[in-house]
Amino acid sequence: MPNLLLPSVATILTQRDETPDVRTYALRFRDPDERAGFAFTPGQFLELSVFGFGEAPFCLASSPTRGPDVEVTVRRCGRLTDALHTLGPGDEVGLRGPCGNGFDVDAARGKDLVFVAGGIGLPPLRSLIWNVFDRRREFGRVTILYGARTPSDLVYKDELRDWERQADVTVRVTVDRTGPGWDGTVGMVPVLFDHVELNAATSLAYVCGPPIMIKFVVQDLLKRGFAAEHVISTLERMMQCGVGKCNHCCVGHRYLCRDGPVFNVREITEMWE
Amino acid sequence: MERSATRVIARSDVNEWLAHILHHRDVIAPTRSPGGDTMFAPITSPDDVLWDFENPLAPPKQFLLPQTEPLAHFRRIDGHMHVEPVAEQRERVLFNVRSCDASALAFLRETYARDLADDVVERRAASLTVVTLACSVPCELGFCVCTDAGPFLRRDFDVQLTDLGDAFFVEVGTDKGRALVGLADALFQDAASDDQARRDASELAARAHFGGETCHFGSAMRRISTKRVADELWESMSAWCLDCGGCTHVCPTCYCFSVSDTPPADGCSTRCRLWDSCQYSAFTLEATGHNPRTAHGERMKRRFHHKASAQYFQRDGRVGCVGCGRCVKVCMGTTDMPTVIAAIRHGTWDGGRAHA
Repeated sequence: MPNLLLPSVATILTQRDETPDVRTYALRFRDPDERAGFAFTPGQFLELSVFGFGEAPFCLASSPTRGPDVEVTVRRCGRLTDALHTLGPGDEVGLRGPCGNGFDVDAARGKDLVFVAGGIGLPPLRSLIWNVFDRRREFGRVTILYGARTPSDLVYKDELRDWERQADVTVRVTVDRTGPGWDGTVGMVPVLFDHVELNAATSLAYVCGPPIMIKFVVQDLLKRGFAAEHVISTLERMMQCGVGKCNHCCVGHRYLCRDGPVFNVREITEMWE
Repeated sequence: MERSATRVIARSDVNEWLAHILHHRDVIAPTRSPGGDTMFAPITSPDDVLWDFENPLAPPKQFLLPQTEPLAHFRRIDGHMHVEPVAEQRERVLFNVRSCDASALAFLRETYARDLADDVVERRAASLTVVTLACSVPCELGFCVCTDAGPFLRRDFDVQLTDLGDAFFVEVGTDKGRALVGLADALFQDAASDDQARRDASELAARAHFGGETCHFGSAMRRISTKRVADELWESMSAWCLDCGGCTHVCPTCYCFSVSDTPPADGCSTRCRLWDSCQYSAFTLEATGHNPRTAHGERMKRRFHHKASAQYFQRDGRVGCVGCGRCVKVCMGTTDMPTVIAAIRHGTWDGGRAHA
């Protein structure tokens, strides 16, 4: 990295509306060398600049196994994301990263994998899910549990159907409140645990979503015999620099942007400030 | 740092040395502002430099970490965005910096170089030469002996001056310091053992000023690091904090920052790094409206955890306080460093009026 805080220019290739306020962008580094040299791990994030509006961290929602272009899935909920949502294909943004530790993919080899996501928590897990599908033989059974507030808040709707068609993959989806055309499960994410069989001894669980959802899902997993080290989550805090300098995202002496954002539940329990 | 080379320069020759330095470098020194305050500012004449002064309320950290620092200009040219890093300025000398502030500059330099190095700060630190004036007469509010940051330094300076009356004892700590002395080498004599003895006596006298009192960082640090400070204590202390962020502003080791762009005009904008403060409630406010650190006591706890916990001490190798006493001066309440450290040590809070 030539300059720790200097963004590189990237071009928006495509955009896809996931929900009324969530959009997925595919991005390409403008500089071919930078594009070729960009390497990352699922779970890492990018600092994305909207020039003139600042920058904010977004998880890499695509997998390193699928080429050097990257995807981010962004919910519109502030000044910067408002500005980002006015941009489209051909427009330029800034990228800096990858930042953070990412998932330890090698540690997951040979394991059954349980992904539990709520709302906009699916994108960081999608990076790992793609990665697992692209190296399918290295991993065991895959279970994907996903929930959102309403049917229209579900992201990657088409992909969820594709994932279900893969061998040895179970996908279960729920919504908190039902809506037009929904005939699936209704209830918070933990209700899905009654619809699947999990083997705590052979599994790793990846949990991502709003804090309250993480709390209840983790409780459930621990109750079902998962060891705290085998339940892995990604944490969020307000971030600015993404490189462990500015102190916004500290929890105690841990920097979520640098020591995290991926931690197992034992580490999270031991964290305090 | 290798062992200091020791020299002596006559008081009557110091201005000539400064004139040589001014010829080659920008010099920042404590000087009298038009309003009569003492402040660190660029000087143009050796006569502008103060030798007997109260340490300015604004520390010299602004010359390593500017309060508003342009990082890059964004320009749209022919429909494409160009990111232009902001160029660095020329070599600068910080002259007559106090021991505490020089320690703080070293703390900041190390912090920005650790793990992922911040090249902008590293370059600026490399172009900065620090000349300290040892505190023969410690300041009233300072407690640098408690934090190993004064009154005299053993490290963290390029040149350390000690006032011997008719002359200055000159310790050269680094190559940068050697180069600065070398600009007028003929003005310096090698120090004699008598000069060294006078310098050492001055240090002993300065240390004696503090008596046996220290603010016992160690025991407070143990309590902070092992979570043995009650949440109620933080809450009751925070009632005496006005949330102004003044302590973090004048603190020579505080370095929290935010990154922000100037509003775009004609496709152009400037990305700036700005000082921020962990004492502001919006410091941890997320775009969703969620704020994990809303309680005032939580924010105070954060500040002192960063400053004085074993966890950070282990990482930094230093306490995040240099004992300059500025927070004591600036706090409109009573939640300055020595008062809070004393309250943590005693485990009780009396409004901060009966500390030490």
